[in-house]
Amino acid sequence: MKTIRQLMMALALLLPLVAANAASMTYTLQVDGLACPFCAYGIEKKLSSIKGVAKVDVDIKHGLVVVTMTEGAELSEQLARDKVKDAGFTLRSFSRIP
Amino acid sequence: MTRNKVLKIIGAGAASLLALLFIAWLAWVPFAEGPGYVFVTAWGERGSAPGQFNDPTGIAVHDGEVFVSDARNARIQVFDLGGRFKRAFGTKGDDPGQLGRPMNLAIANNELYVADYWNNRIVVFGLDGTFRRAIGREGKGPGEFNAPGGVGVASNGDLYVADFYNQRVQHLKPDGGFVSQWGQTGKIGIWAGEFNYPTDVAVAHDGSVYVADGYNDRVQVFGWDGKFLRKWGGPFGMNIHGPFNGWFATVTSIAVGPDGNVFAADFYNDRVQKFRPDGTFLTAFGTPAAGPAHTAIAVDVADDGTVYVVNYDANRVEKWRPRE
Repeated sequence: MKTIRQLMMALALLLPLVAANAASMTYTLQVDGLACPFCAYGIEKKLSSIKGVAKVDVDIKHGLVVVTMTEGAELSEQLARDKVKDAGFTLRSFSRIP
Repeated sequence: MTRNKVLKIIGAGAASLLALLFIAWLAWVPFAEGPGYVFVTAWGERGSAPGQFNDPTGIAVHDGEVFVSDARNARIQVFDLGGRFKRAFGTKGDDPGQLGRPMNLAIANNELYVADYWNNRIVVFGLDGTFRRAIGREGKGPGEFNAPGGVGVASNGDLYVADFYNQRVQHLKPDGGFVSQWGQTGKIGIWAGEFNYPTDVAVAHDGSVYVADGYNDRVQVFGWDGKFLRKWGGPFGMNIHGPFNGWFATVTSIAVGPDGNVFAADFYNDRVQKFRPDGTFLTAFGTPAAGPAHTAIAVDVADDGTVYVVNYDANRVEKWRPRE
């Protein structure tokens, strides 16, 4: 009985982690000079070409690009950096939204 | 060396520097040589209903109608010269006749040419919105595009396409057959005949081809055959940006008026600049940005000289007329 209770507790602790991994991951990229649509669309276009990207939103006011992945997909910082470079920009920061 | 002598040397140096700056100012900051423009009216606001825009990015005026690229709504909207909505066409997608992000526009031989930045092609419509054909596909080979920003059409139907990420202008036959390219594919350059994210092309009545060389902050002019003719924009016309007369901070659209004068949208300076065909600065006008974006993204000129400007920041179209 004690073992069953311990197993149940471990499951309860793991569930949120499993749920978090199953949910879509979102990343924030800081990029300078996005006020022009040629630039903003270029970034959107390059990042959208990555497998597993569901949505790219550009916040020109704050120079931020928010990348939402499909369920289970992840975005590596290096790949994001390369795509931002392809678009003619420099990635200033990269972070995963908790 | 005495303190007085040092001060004298510093003073002479400062005076020389000021004199040099004054001479440079006279050389590279021209005075307006033409009359200005007066704001007439504007229409549009952010949204997706008829008459509303979500990132307007291109404009063409023809025979009493104003065609506007409504980029994020993936459509073209058509208005009369007073801004009354007439019709819209295009839907979001990449099938034939659909649009991704329509940018600069051109009208020739009763057809509308749309540079589709997202789908890497030029989409051609009848003026009523009927899909006619698409030219090009994604790539960096002859006749292929990587985010075309604008297109100019010659009197014989030949196309000149600003191939933004390929850093070149392509000269194509009316059916998309490759003729030649100017600039080296994928290589940014600041010298004559090289490009730094070209955004638009306009063909003048004499066949000269004017290129908005976006991030080189200049206009480059070529013969129909690609022979480099001249360039202007800041000192030496080579990627030196600034807010002064005749300088640019990213040229995003170019148009030739009925008298041959050249109008360039100077995006980060929130203005349109007008030049003679030889590059002589005439005047500048525009609307300051409320932010966070900028205003003058695209420009075209009606046969009577009225200028229509797309204000990207405010999601509207502005109409300006020459000052009497």
